[in-house]
Amino acid sequence: MTATVDPVWGTDSPRWRRRVAADRYVSYLLPLLFLAVLYPLLDLIYWIGAEALPTLSWRTLTTNPSGFGGGLLAPITGTLYLIAISTALAGTVGIVAGMYTAEFASPRVASLGRLGGNLLAGVPAIVIGYFGYFALVLYTHWGMTLVAGGITLSIFMIPYIYRTADLAFGSVPADQREAAFGMGASRGQYLRRVAWPIAFPRILTGIFIAMAIGLGETAPLLFTAGWNFVPATGLSSQTSYLTGLIWLYYSAPTDFGTELALAFQAAFLLIVIVIALNVIVQLIAERYRRRLRGLFR
Amino acid sequence: MSEPAAPEPAPVLSTEGLSVFAGSREILRRVSLAVPEKKITAVIGPSGCGKTTLIRAMNRMVELSPELRIEGTVRYRGRDIYAPEVSPVVVRRRIGMVFQRPTVFPQSIYENVAFGLRLDREEEDAVERTVVTSLRRAGLYEEVKEDLDRPALSLSGGQQQRLCIARALAVNPSVLLLDEATASLDPIATQKIEEMLRELKGEVSIVLVTHNIAQAARTSDVTAYLHQGRLIEMGATSELFEAPREKLTEAYITGRFG
Amino acid sequence: MTTSPTDGSTIPPASEASSEPVPPPARRPPTGRKRAGAVLTAPLSWLPLLFLAAIVAVLLYASDFHNFGLSFWGPNWFPDPLDPASASYGVLVFAVGTVLTSALAVFLAGVLSIGLAISLVMFLPGPLARVLALFVDLLAGIPSVVYGIWGYVVLAPYFANDLEPALQSHLGFLPGLGGSSVEIAGGTGLLLAVLVLTLMVVPLTTALVRDSLRSVPRALEESGLALGATRWEVVRRVHLRYARRGIFSAVLLGLGRALGETVAVFMVIGNQVRFPPTLYSGTSTIATLLVGQFDSAFIYPDLLRALVEIALVLFLITLAVNVIGRRFLTDGGLGRIALEAGPEKAAS
Repeated sequence: MTATVDPVWGTDSPRWRRRVAADRYVSYLLPLLFLAVLYPLLDLIYWIGAEALPTLSWRTLTTNPSGFGGGLLAPITGTLYLIAISTALAGTVGIVAGMYTAEFASPRVASLGRLGGNLLAGVPAIVIGYFGYFALVLYTHWGMTLVAGGITLSIFMIPYIYRTADLAFGSVPADQREAAFGMGASRGQYLRRVAWPIAFPRILTGIFIAMAIGLGETAPLLFTAGWNFVPATGLSSQTSYLTGLIWLYYSAPTDFGTELALAFQAAFLLIVIVIALNVIVQLIAERYRRRLRGLFR
Repeated sequence: MSEPAAPEPAPVLSTEGLSVFAGSREILRRVSLAVPEKKITAVIGPSGCGKTTLIRAMNRMVELSPELRIEGTVRYRGRDIYAPEVSPVVVRRRIGMVFQRPTVFPQSIYENVAFGLRLDREEEDAVERTVVTSLRRAGLYEEVKEDLDRPALSLSGGQQQRLCIARALAVNPSVLLLDEATASLDPIATQKIEEMLRELKGEVSIVLVTHNIAQAARTSDVTAYLHQGRLIEMGATSELFEAPREKLTEAYITGRFG
Repeated sequence: MTTSPTDGSTIPPASEASSEPVPPPARRPPTGRKRAGAVLTAPLSWLPLLFLAAIVAVLLYASDFHNFGLSFWGPNWFPDPLDPASASYGVLVFAVGTVLTSALAVFLAGVLSIGLAISLVMFLPGPLARVLALFVDLLAGIPSVVYGIWGYVVLAPYFANDLEPALQSHLGFLPGLGGSSVEIAGGTGLLLAVLVLTLMVVPLTTALVRDSLRSVPRALEESGLALGATRWEVVRRVHLRYARRGIFSAVLLGLGRALGETVAVFMVIGNQVRFPPTLYSGTSTIATLLVGQFDSAFIYPDLLRALVEIALVLFLITLAVNVIGRRFLTDGGLGRIALEAGPEKAAS
């Protein structure tokens, strides 16, 4: 560290040293910001686990909630039913609409469709809940039902599946298309035989992400799905669900009953499912990355 | 291998046994060459011969590709540019680079040229003087002097490329590396840049990577021919083109293969 | 690949890493014959837009086009079902709560995510960056009720007993951080809501900022470095300048998300109907009003109408924020959080 200017490199000024030091400090300090995000995340997971695990047992999963505690059987089945209904609906609509946008639509129509999807994704969940209440509970005279909840939830999930389907069909490599059409394949044949196998894994990731999001939603269901202490028996019966149980019990007193523990157990289950879905998505995405890399070679 | 016609002063830049690996593949194979001071050195060879990698190794730009591994030495005025105490930032200050496509920043012409000067917080009138001189040296000043605050992206491709050269010259490097700098330009723009390079060479040492053999013959003083990562031949341009010593060189410059 | 201009012969595939971008897939196939498939699938792609229209229509219809007059925007919220004449449905308190929570949370999330995104793109080695990005994405996957119960049961007591008294005694001279210790109450309030909301917005804004930093052409980045700039200087002078629009759009889309967040905020904000005198105070937002009062509104037509109209206002505001946000967005956004496996990356 001589104070003289290096004859070859010609830079040893204070300004120069400040510049290099600033770069070094920033490259060490800026990543520390991750602590501000990771610490709360780990704290959350730790506390949910700490509150849920001591009392989590097989009975929790196999009994219904009672007034003061009980198990999670009804909410678990309810969440599964709701997700099944909404995934089936949103999956069908999203995939077909995405295929149309990527394959058939004129650029104008396609960009309108994409805009619609993106904006629908930005609608607050509570507004979709209000919409579901009036459109599917009140005006249909169905009352609060499993099917009303499922449909409302599907509105929330459609944009995610729609967009991934659009992207997936749109990103089929050009030479694959040209090869197919060059051999005289019809559109239907192209879509079935060429585009679908390439696009499917990516669509699947969109579906799983949509499921993870639907699973964690509360507001669209509060006024549409109703509540039930036993598993729903049909499309027109009311149902409970995991997020709803947390909503109902989070402020329960700790000195009486076990509702709060039950709420934490529901939260724990949700986190486990969400992490599992994320892991699956990453695995699919990784395989897809490799396969696509091969296609582009 | 490198025995240029006349004995000459110490080279400004030299490589000794320089190899670059991508995994197990050797992109450059023990290349040793010397870049003479204040001359134009052309590096020619078929696409994929490693010429871009060679000049990217000359100012440590290869380090931006983490998959590449470097062996051997590169010396600038006798000093190892990869020595641990040497910062890549300082190396690139001395050894500037211009890329295949013009890479102007989405800012005004003036701010583009001032980019490197702003890093040192120079006085504004010093900045302005350097901006004007640099634009002159790059042969662009007369065309843009009316409005230096115009967005640089409004210039033509050839003008943008000369702007990039002016920007590189503004920080006063000793060596200027040009990576196929005219490959994306039309013949007239190319000609302008070649003229400008010939004028510059009294002040700066220039290394010109090109797949355009005619350009190398027209512009350079010294030419190096690279083939599959090896330096096949290097020498005064007139000699290399008129009487190549190696068969591969001859085959390439007479157009028998890529 | 490149063609030599001297002889015109094509060069065998280059062994050097190519920086040529993969051409975008041709959208139109050479042959026509699209009638049947197109006709069958077209209506479904209009469905998202139809839903948006239907939401407006249904909410308008449900509100009976009732006009509460100017008092609707006033500060007085006295829903009195028994005496409709003296009831007042001013939503100003909730609007202020929404603006305060969203603005503070989006500010924090914006600053944080710019730092995180720069670290991810420029300073962290690839594998570590990928793992950290996964953790940030996981934050987006945590259900909002789970944030809520964690905030209410775990954080609120800590805020009430430790953090907020400490802030009050040390930083009490700052606006919003002083005030009476009564305001701290149970720890639920503006500060906790902002914190939870920040965590919920950060993954979205980080992903968007990261995408826009990545959209800076590699050639520009290299040019900056070749001029002898340090990485940090290149980030400041090239990336942040080039990605301005993308960052602005990320902040707006984050705002859209924050404005509508309902359940988690309800659980931690305290739900007092008043303007919050301090950052510790409980207050309400439009979204928490909508979720908290709906049950009781089923049988009180005026309250129901008021809530529906507020829902419509919230819908239109978030829609506007999203429309503006998307205008500044070149690409990315929804779904990008989980969809790292884009073809554009796989190809490079």
